[in-house]
Amino acid sequence: MTGDAHAIALQEHSPVAGVAHDERGGISNPVLGMILFITSEVMFFAGLFAAYFNVRANAPAWPPIPPTVTEELAEHFHHLKAEPWLALALTVILVLSSFTCQFAIWAIRQNDRTGFIRNIAVTVILGIVFLIGQGYDYTQLGFGLADGVFGTTFYTLTGFHGAHVFGGVIMLSVLLYRGMAGQFSARHHDAVEATSIYWHFVDVVWIALFSTLYIL
Amino acid sequence: MHPLRHPRNAIFVGILFVVIGFVYWFVPYVGGWQLDYAGVTMLAALGIAMGLMAYVLIAGSPNE
Amino acid sequence: MATTTLTPAASAYRSGLYEWLTTTDHKKIGILYIVNSFIFFFLAGVLALGVRAELAVPGLQLLTDEHLYNQLFTMHGTAMLFLFIIPMLAGFANYIVPLQIGAPDMAFPRINALSFWLLPLGGILMFSGFLTGGTAAAGWTGYPPLSEDRPGGLASSGPGMDLWLTGLILIGTASILGAVNFLVTIFKMRAPGMTLFRMPILVWTALVTAVLVLMATPVFTSALIMLFIDRNYGGHFFDPATGGNAILWQNVFWFYSHPAVYVMVLPAMGMVSEILPVFSRKPLFGYKAFIFATAGIGALGFSVWAHHMFTTGSVYLPFFSLMTFLIAVPTGVKMFNWIFTMWRGKLTLSTPLLFALGFLSMFLIGGINGAFSAAVPVDFALHDTYWVVAHLHYVLFGGSVFGVFAGVYYWFPKMTGRMLNETLGKVQFVLMFIGFNLTFFPMHVLGLQGMPRRIADYATTAGWNELNLAATIGGFLIAASTIPFLWNVFVSLRSGPIAGDDPWEGNTLEWATTSPPPPYNFDRLPEIRSERPLFDLRHGLTHPAAVLPVPTDPSVTSPPVVVVDEPVARPARARRTRKEP
Repeated sequence: MTGDAHAIALQEHSPVAGVAHDERGGISNPVLGMILFITSEVMFFAGLFAAYFNVRANAPAWPPIPPTVTEELAEHFHHLKAEPWLALALTVILVLSSFTCQFAIWAIRQNDRTGFIRNIAVTVILGIVFLIGQGYDYTQLGFGLADGVFGTTFYTLTGFHGAHVFGGVIMLSVLLYRGMAGQFSARHHDAVEATSIYWHFVDVVWIALFSTLYIL
Repeated sequence: MHPLRHPRNAIFVGILFVVIGFVYWFVPYVGGWQLDYAGVTMLAALGIAMGLMAYVLIAGSPNE
Repeated sequence: MATTTLTPAASAYRSGLYEWLTTTDHKKIGILYIVNSFIFFFLAGVLALGVRAELAVPGLQLLTDEHLYNQLFTMHGTAMLFLFIIPMLAGFANYIVPLQIGAPDMAFPRINALSFWLLPLGGILMFSGFLTGGTAAAGWTGYPPLSEDRPGGLASSGPGMDLWLTGLILIGTASILGAVNFLVTIFKMRAPGMTLFRMPILVWTALVTAVLVLMATPVFTSALIMLFIDRNYGGHFFDPATGGNAILWQNVFWFYSHPAVYVMVLPAMGMVSEILPVFSRKPLFGYKAFIFATAGIGALGFSVWAHHMFTTGSVYLPFFSLMTFLIAVPTGVKMFNWIFTMWRGKLTLSTPLLFALGFLSMFLIGGINGAFSAAVPVDFALHDTYWVVAHLHYVLFGGSVFGVFAGVYYWFPKMTGRMLNETLGKVQFVLMFIGFNLTFFPMHVLGLQGMPRRIADYATTAGWNELNLAATIGGFLIAASTIPFLWNVFVSLRSGPIAGDDPWEGNTLEWATTSPPPPYNFDRLPEIRSERPLFDLRHGLTHPAAVLPVPTDPSVTSPPVVVVDEPVARPARARRTRKEP
């Protein structure tokens, strides 16, 4: 079998057939590199989650209650879990942005540049809204990073997630700029594929965060 | 295809670590010893990450 | 000297400083890694000489400030691990892996350059502590509460610890990016005919090492960040008074640092696995077993981290003890295979082989004394004593460093086009071997006698005086052994004998091009039908005329590549016992 025939065979039957390929039949290098980078990011968040579960298991009560913390702080901690409405809204926004990101991918694979630009622009806006919402939530929470181990783990986990969202927004903005400059086509859009995979990962981490910090 | 080349089998390495993590949780849990949640979390995440990595490396390789 | 190569037209060229600073060529970057790593090797070595000078006799003579002593052993450990051995092996892999798989470069050349340049930056950040009131001084393991800066009692106040954390975060990021680079290169850029099970062992060890780095280093980054937050933003991760847990640091730290020690030794094992067959004129014994053993070590390496924490009281002891003993199995398989590679071979005792033999014998000792520590009651007695110092130096110095020097002598001709002087190499080996054993063997006894680690001074009546003095003399002997090495490099670079393409009659693809190779690595590749493509070419088992086109630009559709996939026909039995005619 020639290399080309292999490539065609792979594209027809492989579950990764949709992902960008190079002509020898494998996933394109930038996309493979991004997926591997994301596995390392999974392990980074694993370390932070490990810390969270560890301190939570060692705490006599979670969220902490007096006398380990003040009455006021315990009140704020309780409020976080009892009324997670803003966080829920943020979840919806982020999931929506994953959808628009995927619409953008489908558009550019069909060479629909206008559709691509529109959807990327919406994704960027949703990402920025998420960040603003997260920042606003921080001001409303009533406790800070230094407020016991609950505060520390909460802010570290959500803060690093927010930093990753921020990085993703920058990457998406670069895509928007390059897309408007006409640099992407159906044949040539590895950067878009890679960024969209990163953006979906950011969304998945938020789901895990939201479930762990607000619900569990 | 040789079993070592099939992408689906590559996930085995990820499952291996999830299983190790599960054993690491299960035995102290039933034995009444101290549970290391940090270790369990890291091993479980390692399994997920390894499975994803192995799958994408085998599935994404050129077919030669 | 054998010249079985297909001679390309290009020849070596000299580059200016700008070229070196901005290069994305994996060969230049590999050399940058190696040079940078040697600089930190010597720097960290000087720090060790300071430690040994203080410990030679009882009483505080030179470093009357014990805090300075703590900085010395902290920075010695940190620099040796993160600025010397890991990047050194990464640099060798960077240089050799693309050549051995027949690729023109790494998958992401610019990220490759970034990965390198973050290293001197991280190193300078960490060492600048010496100018800003003291570097980190909590040991390379940085355990809280000593590494935190809470008021009262033992703490690491001052910027040194924060510089240490930031430097390591940068270096860790560089490592992770490098790992992504290696994995994509190895899986996507092999030459036609180079299936996974025809890759040289060095490429396989680079692969497993990259997996370990990719998965474990981010966990270390998270720990460093948590400590940074504790120190600078009022965090409470490791503060028991407010709900944190100091043992949490140890857990997360060792989850990385144990796989890290395999990162520090597997590529050196790969290099030894390349060198032994060439200097025994015999194929590597048990190629596939090697690969599975390496993968097994990598996998098991993730399940043993808490054997560094047996004495904390919060570890599920039987699990970790069992897993630790299990690692001896694949390691034993490899040891067996190396010995049987040499068995009945035609040995040439040149310097690369001498260092490889040094690796085998010293790593064996290191593995055995490690197995002692795997037994929990033994570890309870020996934890934090000089026994552990002996163990870690036997595997890291006796193992990895000897492996590195074997690699230096073996690949220096390929990298520079000149041979290193054999006599000077042998002098270095003998001095270094004797010095190393004189330094570290007594530490087994010191550990058994109860001498703790990381102490600046000890009582005259403890009975440790003679052994410490012996260890110090050994340490300075090691230092002396680096002089013939440096002289060798200096002289050979200028006027060593010209190496030619293939001075050692090697088996792998890097010897199929000029020394040093042209920027694009290969003009033409030999046919690849086994794990020893050059051996096959030299013995007429493959045909030099039937070369395959080397795919370069993936966006250009090339003509269909006809890949002849049958392995070279050989009688089945002859595989194990065949020697070079």
